[in-house]
Amino acid sequence: MEKVKRFRSKKLMEKTSNVVVYAILIIISIVWLIPFVLLLIQSFSGDQTGYSITRVFPEKWTFDNYVRLFSETKFLTWYGNTFVVSIVVMVVQTVIVLATSYAFSRMRFKMRKPLMNLMLILGMFPGFLSMTAVYFILKEMGLTQNLIGLMLVYTASSAMGYYICKGFFDTVPKSLDEAARIDGANRATVFFKIILPLAKPIIIYTILMAFTAPWGEYMFSSFLMLGDPDKFTVAVGMKEWIGREMVNSYFGVFCAAAVVVSIPIVLLFMFLQRYYVEGVTGGAVKG
Amino acid sequence: MANLSLKHIYKVYPNGTKAVNDFNMDIADKEFIVFVGPSGCGKSTTLRMIAGLEDISAGELTIGDVVVNDMEPKDRDIAMVFQNYALYPHMTVYENMTFGLKMRKIQDVKKDKNGDPVLDENGEPVTYMRHYTREEMHERVLAAADTLGITEYLGRKPKEMSGGQRQRVSLGRAIVREPKVMLLDEPLSNLDAKLRTQMRAEIAKLHARLNTTFIYVTHDQIEAMTMGTRIVVMKEGFVQQIDTPKNLYNYPGNKFVAGFIGTPQMNFFEGTLKKVGDNVEINFAYSDAKVVVPFAYFYKTRPSYLNGNVPVYIGLRAEDISIDEETVRASNAVVKVRVSHKEELGNETLLYGDINMEGDGYVESSTRVIIKCNEDVDYSDGDVIDAALDLEHIHLFDKETEVTIIPRVPEYNYLDCEIADGKLRFLGEELELPSAIECEDGEGELLIPTDAFILGDEGIEAKAIGVEVIADTRLLCFEIGGRRLFAIVGEEQIGDTVKVKLDMKKISVLRDGSPIVDPMPKFVRFDGKLEKVKTKGDVEIVKTKKDGSQYTVTKHKTIINFVLDIEGAKYVAPDNIALKLITTLGVSKAFEKELLFESTPYDLNLAEQGISAQLVRVADYGSERFGVYACAGKEVYVDLKEGQDAPVNAFIAPTVEKLGIIQKDMDIRII
Repeated sequence: MEKVKRFRSKKLMEKTSNVVVYAILIIISIVWLIPFVLLLIQSFSGDQTGYSITRVFPEKWTFDNYVRLFSETKFLTWYGNTFVVSIVVMVVQTVIVLATSYAFSRMRFKMRKPLMNLMLILGMFPGFLSMTAVYFILKEMGLTQNLIGLMLVYTASSAMGYYICKGFFDTVPKSLDEAARIDGANRATVFFKIILPLAKPIIIYTILMAFTAPWGEYMFSSFLMLGDPDKFTVAVGMKEWIGREMVNSYFGVFCAAAVVVSIPIVLLFMFLQRYYVEGVTGGAVKG
Repeated sequence: MANLSLKHIYKVYPNGTKAVNDFNMDIADKEFIVFVGPSGCGKSTTLRMIAGLEDISAGELTIGDVVVNDMEPKDRDIAMVFQNYALYPHMTVYENMTFGLKMRKIQDVKKDKNGDPVLDENGEPVTYMRHYTREEMHERVLAAADTLGITEYLGRKPKEMSGGQRQRVSLGRAIVREPKVMLLDEPLSNLDAKLRTQMRAEIAKLHARLNTTFIYVTHDQIEAMTMGTRIVVMKEGFVQQIDTPKNLYNYPGNKFVAGFIGTPQMNFFEGTLKKVGDNVEINFAYSDAKVVVPFAYFYKTRPSYLNGNVPVYIGLRAEDISIDEETVRASNAVVKVRVSHKEELGNETLLYGDINMEGDGYVESSTRVIIKCNEDVDYSDGDVIDAALDLEHIHLFDKETEVTIIPRVPEYNYLDCEIADGKLRFLGEELELPSAIECEDGEGELLIPTDAFILGDEGIEAKAIGVEVIADTRLLCFEIGGRRLFAIVGEEQIGDTVKVKLDMKKISVLRDGSPIVDPMPKFVRFDGKLEKVKTKGDVEIVKTKKDGSQYTVTKHKTIINFVLDIEGAKYVAPDNIALKLITTLGVSKAFEKELLFESTPYDLNLAEQGISAQLVRVADYGSERFGVYACAGKEVYVDLKEGQDAPVNAFIAPTVEKLGIIQKDMDIRII
């Protein structure tokens, strides 16, 4: 039998493929959102179910979990610890990353290439490989069970995150630097008056990354703060609650804490989002 | 508002590439200089070195009599316009223009409350540095904006403007500071053709108005020709020619310049020249074409080019070839051209053809010809037509070196001569050879440099034909025995006849192409190095106490002396020379690199110490005597003072301050 070539409308094809694509996207986002929604609902649940949630919507709605969170537990201390650490790390790390990236992007020195490669390769090893070593070093320095020790650990490798930021600086035309230098600016002025205002999106990105990483970090802090509940960060503290012994009575509290923990990040994103998208390089040079 | 001078400027990259080679130029105040050349010729690099954005590898750059090699761009008082505008995108036009003013301070006289200047104890007004006031800045920005017609855009951001407007802002940002020198790096390359023409005129107008030195880089020869007062043509890091647009067009120094300047490109043919009686026959290669030119065109040409064997390039511009019937009829230089195709440009037509009847006329070859015709031409492909060559505008270049063989200022006069009995005979004249010149008797070719004639009250009498002024050079044309000769002369008045003498130490004689009489070398080069010598010694340091009284402290310290090792002889390097060597070569390399020390015979002395040398002979040129020594494997001429003896075993000492210094392996002139 002869094969009949079916007439295909381009428009129809496009529509069909759109439908398929959106269907997949919707499924993915549902899968992705379910835990958050469940968490939010469970934080208002009065059922003492522990792990074994049997129903999506609880029988009893209550604020008890939140009340217990702030009255019975050390959550506020942990929250404070995490906040202080994250803010300090955010500031220090942003400064270091910007400085490193600017240097790698704009200056030409002998070890530039080898250094960049070295950092890239080092960055490929997971950080916890060195955890034991770091622990003992910090112990010698008397910095275990100490927030400063934690900040040190988080900021020590900041410069390795130069890559994305340098990539952005590279897109800012060099002739802007040169024009400014001829106009009478020195390197610092060029950086602060020309490059930084243009690099807003990438600064925002750096700030967000620098804040969220320590905010949710568990591994290093659990190791470092072991045995001193007053120095716990939220991640370490909350992990205790979902251990086998405590989970039955603390699961609701855990969910409430998770919601509270997510607030600053949501706020930060909402506040910084508009800079995040906005590109400001337009019109600098022939575009 | 300043003059610039570039002396032996080099740009060498760490991998050894030389981007700019021995750039020498003096730029007068208010000139409009254009650097032009194909991409990668070093024109932008040179500009960026002037701006201070690139380090100068070697050489000396002065702006307004100040050496600026090690100055930051901001201290050079220059402004630059970039190809991609380089406007600060986050600032408005107004902020863009004031940025440079905000960064800068000006000197002002201190005033008291009444507005009178404050005087110091000597009665001089006290000055201090201050920032521009808001009003001053505003005034300047408005003035600049007005000049460029951008007043209405002052509140806009760069991205809200078109390319032409942005480039205007960029110009405004440059002129608002009233810099000494304006540097423009291909400012119009990003604009469309119409806007480019318009901006070209505006920049020219701006130059006339601002009275500032402009240096403009472009790869577009039309921009160069229309704007520049002088043009620097560059290729592969070397300066090809520096001249006015008109001279570049009329007297290209080599084939590259001839081909680069002018559209369509100049037609180049290959051929040979043969002198026949009072005429010269030009035979085109790969074609039957042949034209005859009067010998008068070739007075400045070396006669050996005219023997019919030396291949040359023949250059003729498209506008110097005519197919107009009357012109062809009147012309005595007609060649047959086989038409291949044409390009109609509206007001004129470019006719492509070939002087070789088998040639195809599409590919650039040594027989392809482009003819510019004004009228409508209706030749079809394959027609063979007559074309008249305008031989007044013919250009001829050596095939090997591609240098013109009809130079404006010839280097040498070439004559036949005979040497016999210690006498030099040429053009019916006879001159006594000084004892310094020894050679076998016989005939030869005499090369007299154009600067070897000395005008005076005695010597050979010659008929003066005229004086031609070429840039800074006055070239005298005179006649001896019916032969025209050229000499570079000073400012003196020239009558109908002149008396000339020959500077015998500059002439050379060739026999069968190899020299039998050499001119005295202008300089000699010695091998050497810079060395560091550490000694311990007591140093007296003068210190000032708080109350202003001074006292000296003696300290035992290591003193580092810099020493020039010239062929084994050591000389203390003056601070400025040592510093220059070290800054140019780098601290670690300065003591490793081999150097060449260059000295003229006049700066060499016979001394008690120095480079050991053995006397070969004494060269006596009559008015001057030189001791010729074998020294470090070379023949070295040393100037002998009046009545000074030349010892057989001697030591030669150079005058250290006057040495030229060259880095040997890279051939970079440092001093």
